[in-house]
Amino acid sequence: MNSTEAAQTIVAALCGAGINFVATLPDINLSELLQAVEESRELIHVPVCREEESIGICAGGYLVGKKCAAIMQNGGFFNSNNAIVSTLLQYQIPLLLLIYYAGDVGDRTFSTTGGLTEPVLQALGIRYYIMRATEDAAELIRRAQILTEDSKRPVALLLTKEFLGRRAALRAF
Amino acid sequence: MQRFACLKTLAPLAGDALVVSSAGAVTLEWNALRPSGGNFRVRTLGLCSSIALGMALGLPEHKVIALDGDGSLLMNLSTLPTIARMKPKNLLHIVFDNEVYEASGSKKTATGAGTDLVGMARAAGIETAHWVDSVDAFAQAAKRALSARVRALSASRSVPSALPWRLTQSTKSKTSTALSVTSKRSPTSKF
Repeated sequence: MNSTEAAQTIVAALCGAGINFVATLPDINLSELLQAVEESRELIHVPVCREEESIGICAGGYLVGKKCAAIMQNGGFFNSNNAIVSTLLQYQIPLLLLIYYAGDVGDRTFSTTGGLTEPVLQALGIRYYIMRATEDAAELIRRAQILTEDSKRPVALLLTKEFLGRRAALRAF
Repeated sequence: MQRFACLKTLAPLAGDALVVSSAGAVTLEWNALRPSGGNFRVRTLGLCSSIALGMALGLPEHKVIALDGDGSLLMNLSTLPTIARMKPKNLLHIVFDNEVYEASGSKKTATGAGTDLVGMARAAGIETAHWVDSVDAFAQAAKRALSARVRALSASRSVPSALPWRLTQSTKSKTSTALSVTSKRSPTSKF
C-alpha cells in the first residue's frame, strides 16, 4: 500500500486499540501519518516543538484517563530520555512510543542515530517491536497497547519506511 | 514577595482544580496549603507545564493549574509556543520567578541575568502575559483567571475572549509576578 493508505491504516489501528490522544513532531517520512492524525475526529492531536514535551503532555493525558501515543523520529526519542526516565519510568506511566526508524538498513545519513536506537531502548528497558508490515498494524498496535497498560511501562514501535508505505517490503523481515 | 504568601491566596480559590507543581519547594508549600489527591508532583525539571497541558487537554471541562518556576520553564521553553498554539481554556500557568535554581544550591538562572519570561511568553503567542507586583494583585489575577468564563468562539484568533495573564514572583530585589491562563480555543487549524 502507498503512504497515504498506510497512514489511514495506522490511524485506524491506533483508534482500534483505544488511543484517543496523540502528541507529535514531524519528520518527512511521517508526513502522511501526521496528516491523518490531524484529520482524525477520534484523536486529540497535540503538535509539539520538542519531543520531550510529548512525554509530559502524554503523561498528563494518562493521569486524567486518556490513552496516549507519542509519534516522533528516533532522534527525537533521544531528546526525550530524561522525561522518559524521570516521569514515565519513575511513575510507571504507560505510553505507546511510535518512533520513526531513521538509519534503518538502506538509509543514507542516519546510520549513527539508527545504530544507537535499539541499544538505547534496551538500556532503558523499553520493549520495542520493529514494524515492517502495514497489514499487521491493527493487531500489533493492539497488542502493544495491552503490553504497555499491563506493564505500566512505555512500549516502542519502530516505524520503518516499509511500514509507512514509503519503500517496498522485504521477505527477509 | 514570598511565593508562599501567593500560594496561600491561591489555595482557597483552587477548588477542585488539578494542580501540577514543579520539582522543588513549591510542591512542599502547595501540598501544605492544599493537600489533595489532585496534586501532582513533577520530577522532571521543565515538564510541569507540559504535564499540566496534557491534563488540561484531556479534561477540558476541568481547571488545571501549573505551579512552575523560572528554572523549570527555562528548561522547557518549547512549552510556550505549544501552549499558545493549543490555547486550552482551562489551564492556568503560574510561574514563580525567583531567579535561582532554588533546589540546586540557589545558583542564578538566566532570569537572574535579565531574561524576561513574560516577554518570551508574549512572543511565543501568549499575548497578554504580564507581570503582577504584589500578593494582592496575584490574588486578584488568580481569582479572575479561575472564574473566567468560556465564551463563544470568534472568527478571529487575534483577540482572546478572556484575558490571560502571567504571574511570576521574584523573591529577590525586583518583586514581580505574572500569571498566565490561556482561555480561548482558536477555531483555526493548529497544525
